[in-house]
Amino acid sequence: MSDAVLNNIRSRRVVREMSDQPVTRQQVETILEAARWAPSGGNLRPIRYIVIEDAETRRLIRLVSPGMFQKAPVLVLLCLNEEVMIEHSLPPSDRALLIDVGTAAQTIMLAAHGIGLASGPVTSYSKEAIRVILNLPASYSPEMFICIGHKAESTRRGMKAWKKINWRDLTHWERFPQA
Amino acid sequence: MSENWVLKEGEAVELLALLITSARIQLDEPAHYGPLRLLTATERLSGMILERASEKSREFLQGNVERIPELHMRMSDVDDYAAGLDGLCREVAECLLRHSTLEEDAS
Repeated sequence: MSDAVLNNIRSRRVVREMSDQPVTRQQVETILEAARWAPSGGNLRPIRYIVIEDAETRRLIRLVSPGMFQKAPVLVLLCLNEEVMIEHSLPPSDRALLIDVGTAAQTIMLAAHGIGLASGPVTSYSKEAIRVILNLPASYSPEMFICIGHKAESTRRGMKAWKKINWRDLTHWERFPQA
Repeated sequence: MSENWVLKEGEAVELLALLITSARIQLDEPAHYGPLRLLTATERLSGMILERASEKSREFLQGNVERIPELHMRMSDVDDYAAGLDGLCREVAECLLRHSTLEEDAS
């Protein structure tokens, strides 16, 4: 792995306050093209991306999304398409589907960071209200927003770590000893 | 209490949306997110009414509610977070007293 990739991973942060500076369509398309390369269980590709740039639609989404502190110029909504699940006999409760959401989300955030943009995931919103506002097809389940924009000059939002950790704290090598 | 109108209908509906959706998502989220959602609503309401609020409220809104984002950051230290919330409670009580006739009666 190159230093550039590792540096991108290490320097990306969740951004919860963004400026009004716009994001170009080309930048959005670059990010979506990167998302297409995210790993997907069984290569089934159950995720559909909905891009929201319209200011009034973004305002309404924010009003039913208590966890969306950002006023981002672009929102990408990751939806699971139940038609893909039905086609491949996957129950909606299959946890692999949410792993796909996670890999796609991280790929989007790293891609955004890679082209100099800020991003932040949001899962605290009313799914039903989002369905109404976006007129979502019944087969689409809205799983996560990724806010994309430019970091505000001064940001006051975030959360201190619950405790300091490093990778060793999170890792166990080999078998656990018998109790 | 002052009877100034400080909230427009559209703003009130926005606040309703925040409160209702917060109630729903709280069922799926950690309990400690509850205060976060209530403070977010406090912050939004404060932003809506600040320009039309009287001097009696303005001091509280500018001096304290504007510091709520920093308060959120202290959530991982429960004692510190509680101390910050206690401070906000004292300040809102002071604001209530400024709007009340209690202190006028006492003087």
